[in-house]
Amino acid sequence: MSVFTLLAVAAVTVGSRVAALALLPPPPGTLAGLVARLPAPLFAALAALSLTGSEAGASDPAMLAALGCALLVSRWSSLLLTLAAGLSGYLTVSLLL
Amino acid sequence: MSLAPSHGPRTSLVVAALPVALAIGVFGLVYGAAARPVIGPELAVLSSLVVFSGAAQFTMIALLAAGATTLGVLGGVGALALRHLPLGAVLRPRFRANRGRRALVSWFLIDETTGLALTRAEPVERTLAISGSLAYAAWVLGTIGGVAGASAAPVEPLAGALFPVLFVGLASLTARSRSDAGRALAAGAASLAVLLAWPAGGALAAIGVAVAVAAAGRAP
Repeated sequence: MSVFTLLAVAAVTVGSRVAALALLPPPPGTLAGLVARLPAPLFAALAALSLTGSEAGASDPAMLAALGCALLVSRWSSLLLTLAAGLSGYLTVSLLL
Repeated sequence: MSLAPSHGPRTSLVVAALPVALAIGVFGLVYGAAARPVIGPELAVLSSLVVFSGAAQFTMIALLAAGATTLGVLGGVGALALRHLPLGAVLRPRFRANRGRRALVSWFLIDETTGLALTRAEPVERTLAISGSLAYAAWVLGTIGGVAGASAAPVEPLAGALFPVLFVGLASLTARSRSDAGRALAAGAASLAVLLAWPAGGALAAIGVAVAVAAAGRAP
């Protein structure tokens, strides 16, 4: 890969960030309502994306244990607690299997 | 540590951002180890310095390893970059900064910093700048560690589990009502079903499902 290709990749990525925050206007009217409801579904969809994209895959028992434990503690709305519970579930099932 | 909205000092924001930075650093280590044989150590580190996007960089490496052309790489990365548009749209109404400052902090617009920015009481631009700086430093240092030969093998499976868990945490943080939580569960389950049936759909399919679920719901 050349430096040119790398800089082109950087331009695409950086350009989309700048467009999203500095060039595009705030979402108007009905779209604003949709955008206000978007964060939680968006992050849940990204969780599914990173699960299916992981090397272990969505059927790996340890991954499922990690997600299950994370979901169990998600009601407390603590990122640290969710990470700790998820990784504990993952490590426990990995050690058992 | 709760990441519920608060008016705590800057240190509390740093403490809140540290677990995220740690996860990103581990992933950077995996990226450095994976990228080195494909593009060489110098370009691997340079890519983390000038791109700062795990999804884009892993896609770039995978496509290059598969023999893709420059256009193919740009197509794959461009499709992933579209995810910044909904992230930006969610944050945009919360900004008080002018266009120039928004352009500057847009460098730190990633999934994880967006989640933090949505759940903190501090100005969005400050949350993006502080949590993004930590994430950027962790990403670059992780990449350097991976390139330098730090073995990623022991942490690679753990790194794979980190991000689904992290996104579950961010979904729970941004769910401010029962209906939000219901939409998150629906979007997660539907995205999983779509991606298992159509793996090539990738990020665009997942974002499409999230938008469809958000559009189907009513404002609380």
